[in-house]
Amino acid sequence: MAGTREPVIVARDVNVHYADKQALFKIALDIPEKEVTSLIGPSGCGKSTFLRCINRMNDLVDSARFEGQITIAGQNIYAPDVDVVALRREVGMVFQKPNPFPKSVYDNVAYGPKIHGLAQSKADLDGLVQWSLEKAGLWDEVRDRLNEPALGLSGGQQQRLCIARTIAVKPKVVLMDEPCSALDPVATARIEDLIDELRQNFSIVIVTHSMQQASRVSQLTAFFHLGKLVEAGRTKNIFTSPQDERTQNYITGRIG
Amino acid sequence: MTSLIGQTPDMRRRRAAETRFQWYGRGAIFASLAFLAFMLWSIISGGLGAFFTTDLMLEVDLGVQNIDPENPAAANYRAIWRDAMKEHFPEVTTRKELRALYGMLGADAEYELEAHVMADPAIAGRKVKLPFRASDEVDMLLKGNIDRASPEDGRPMTDQEIAWVDHFAAAGDIERRFAWSFFTNGDSREPELAGILAALAGSFLTMLVCFCVSFPVAILAAIYLEEFAPKNRLSDLIEVNINNLAAVPSIVFGLLGLYMFLNTFGLPRSSPLAGGLVLSLMTLPTIIIAARASLRAVPPSIREAALGLGATPVQATFHHVAPLALPGILTGTIVGMAQALGETAPLLMIGMVAFIVDVPDSILEPATALPVQIFLWADAPQRAFVEKTSAAIIVLLIFLIIMNLAAILLRRRFEKRF
Amino acid sequence: MIAAGTQTCASDKTDAINLADTKRNRTFETLVMVALASCSMVAILVTAGIVLSLLFEALRFFERVGIEKFLFGLKWSPQTALRADQVAAEGAFGVIPLVTGTLLISFIAMCVAVPLGLLSAVYLSEYAGKTFRDWIKPMLEILAGIPTVVYGFFAALVVAPMLRAGGEQAGLNISSESALAAGIVMGVMIIPLISSLGSDVINAVPQSLRDASLGLGATPAETIRKVILPAAAPGISGAILLGVSRAIGETMIVVMAAGLAANLTANPLEAVTTITAQIVALLTGDQEFDSAKTLSAFALGLLLFAVTLCLNVLALRIVRKYREEYD
Ligand SMILES: Nc1ncnc2c1ncn2[C@@H]1O[C@H](COP(=O)(O)OP(=O)(O)OP(=O)(O)O)[C@@H](O)[C@H]1O
Ligand SMILES: [Mg+2]
Repeated sequence: MAGTREPVIVARDVNVHYADKQALFKIALDIPEKEVTSLIGPSGCGKSTFLRCINRMNDLVDSARFEGQITIAGQNIYAPDVDVVALRREVGMVFQKPNPFPKSVYDNVAYGPKIHGLAQSKADLDGLVQWSLEKAGLWDEVRDRLNEPALGLSGGQQQRLCIARTIAVKPKVVLMDEPCSALDPVATARIEDLIDELRQNFSIVIVTHSMQQASRVSQLTAFFHLGKLVEAGRTKNIFTSPQDERTQNYITGRIG
Repeated sequence: MTSLIGQTPDMRRRRAAETRFQWYGRGAIFASLAFLAFMLWSIISGGLGAFFTTDLMLEVDLGVQNIDPENPAAANYRAIWRDAMKEHFPEVTTRKELRALYGMLGADAEYELEAHVMADPAIAGRKVKLPFRASDEVDMLLKGNIDRASPEDGRPMTDQEIAWVDHFAAAGDIERRFAWSFFTNGDSREPELAGILAALAGSFLTMLVCFCVSFPVAILAAIYLEEFAPKNRLSDLIEVNINNLAAVPSIVFGLLGLYMFLNTFGLPRSSPLAGGLVLSLMTLPTIIIAARASLRAVPPSIREAALGLGATPVQATFHHVAPLALPGILTGTIVGMAQALGETAPLLMIGMVAFIVDVPDSILEPATALPVQIFLWADAPQRAFVEKTSAAIIVLLIFLIIMNLAAILLRRRFEKRF
Repeated sequence: MIAAGTQTCASDKTDAINLADTKRNRTFETLVMVALASCSMVAILVTAGIVLSLLFEALRFFERVGIEKFLFGLKWSPQTALRADQVAAEGAFGVIPLVTGTLLISFIAMCVAVPLGLLSAVYLSEYAGKTFRDWIKPMLEILAGIPTVVYGFFAALVVAPMLRAGGEQAGLNISSESALAAGIVMGVMIIPLISSLGSDVINAVPQSLRDASLGLGATPAETIRKVILPAAAPGISGAILLGVSRAIGETMIVVMAAGLAANLTANPLEAVTTITAQIVALLTGDQEFDSAKTLSAFALGLLLFAVTLCLNVLALRIVRKYREEYD
């Protein structure tokens, strides 16, 4: 525990079923504030499922059933009086495939602040859009084409736009589900740098299939296997001296 | 050794059967399209004539004894043209013959003459040669639709009338011109005067009502069913209902309209309001089904993106999903409206078969619609109405072609957006 | 460090979040949902409206003319009093001649539509190249887009006289309002329905069946006849049922081309009348309300609705079940 910051997200006894099939078994995990936590594990082990529990995106899946408890800053997000819309404002999400709205670059970033009433004036909004695009490292590339369609950007730019769109509403936590899997190595490197920067302002949870990526960007790593959390800890410990044999096998490439 | 190239008699027989089968298929397609071509050809060739009308040039005496130049409106125009006709054929004297002679011109000859004078008052006081619309029989004769060789009592014109027409023709006093009156007149008992303006206006008002009701309701219903409806008995029931309504015979909707809209709610009979409402009930399922399909085609990633930002489901739908589905919804709407435009039977039930001369001023006034006008004219005894009917069909088909082309273009343009 | 930090102290109070209390306007959302849901209820309302209005008026009709006289009567001649004081015979309201007339015309229509539609579907989905299909399919669809009043006009003014003239040559006496003319034209109108539903059904037959048959050395035609059509039979029968339902409910063609003579005959060369044509005849023109004559139109409508509804439900069910089988 030494050197670990305060946990912002605390998950306890999380079980998730899709219809009759159990996808997560008694997950308990602390996610510290303003650090990057990576979730790794073989395909189908439940990383995305867990991630989507944190902002209750799984509510959209009819067959999904949640048990257990997840708190953010001390509040149980599955409590009956919680408004999922407010939750998702606090817990943003970046998806595997870049999914900008088929609108202009500006409108993509401005949409969140608009619906949440975060900007008092047009100038405010412009400032917020610029701040977000700068944070996402995209400002220099799109400053002249803010009114052009977002779908005209390259894949890597689109993904950074999605990140800018997410941070524009200033969430507490940013969830990323394999944000680089649809990108080439150069774009991936940019996003990794970006994640490292965003750490100063946001708590980040990232799902990745790349061991190198996990070790490069994250401070904490959690290893999932067949719906169970096998091991979690400081990233360098996990990669240098894993406690569990399954972790050992996975990071050396013997399973998964 | 058996041959691989299939020269055995059995193989030959099977190969022949194969060829025959393919020809059956081609034959079926050919037969269907041949029927289509024949139908379109016979309607177009039979209807083009109605876009042209025949004028007889007649010298009328507009001298001061007939027209007071100070007050031309007071003149007896009927007497003027009739005198002119009498003068033209001095040998005609008996009453019966005279009536036939006057019948050579259209029923509105005096109004035509008055219009000529009003348009150019300078002609008053002189003798001038002016064009007059010929009667429908003369028009038919000149278009070759009346057989001169057939026995006299079997055709609508007597030998004498034909001789009068020939007299005009010999003097070069017959002119053909575009029949604007077909587009600017309402219905009439006189074929040469009958036009489709009132029917077009009625169709337009009916379509307007139909669109204003069915479009919003169908979109909202489709959004509910596709985006929000819980999967339960009620949603299933709605779904089954929509699919069935799409296949209910149109005349049943007419009966519903007659009982509900006219007899229960007391909407005015024959009105575009009642007609549009009935048609909107028929169009609803078409638009709902198309709208649901195009909502379903919006990728879920768009919904997730919006919801992930903290948009409410209502916001995600109305800000992002529905606008993306709009081209598809519009396509479905146009197709539905095109169906409604050609629909006849339900309008008969709510009394839109009335004889309508004037353009309706509002959706509450009696009106007719283009397909109903076609139905009415198809039943009229005069030969000239056959031509008019075909022409009205041509106009209707042109509207339908335009609408369907618009739908196709819209679909092409927005097909691959995601 | 699994579950190590149970202490969750929010050190930074300015960062506190509130998940329960939001500014968003829930009444607005509720209103929107109510509006959306009620719009979708319209579908149920329309069906209910149809059933209720038909039933209500039909019941009043059956009070005057017994239901058994209606369903089993062999004579249809709805008379009305010419003068108010006249004691009019109520007329005969036996629906059988109308039913046989409807069935006769529908049968003729299906004799045209089923072979032509199915053969077109088979050729388009099994033999035709892509360009051919891309051109021909929309042209067949045109047939479905032409308003029925146009078919009616064509049947009455072109096909019927042609048949009559042809019949005279062959020494047959064909009525100018023969069932044949209306039936043939109606059949052509239904071809695109059969061929597009048929194409869907044939395309849904798994490729593996096709490959298996062709792999055994069967010719494509043999494969179609012995393998594909039998496999697609349930779906095809669904398509045919929908076609029949369309034929029974078709109005304008029969109103314009089939006439009003309620003959009880199976001879396609004679004039017959149909349920829909009679509904139109009863309700257009001058009508007094509440007479048995006008009410009988609703009874006919009820019969028509019931029959087509059964056909549609059956057909949709067959088609859906068939799809599930191969999905
Ligand atoms: N919508 C769903 N309905 C039913 N089962 C699902 C659904 N989503 C996921 N599952 C199941 O839950 C399990 C975990 O899935 P999840 O997507 O969380 O895995 P993952 O670790 O993200 O895999 P990947 O690395 O391939 O993305 C899998 O067995 C999957 O089949
Ligand atoms: Mg995943």
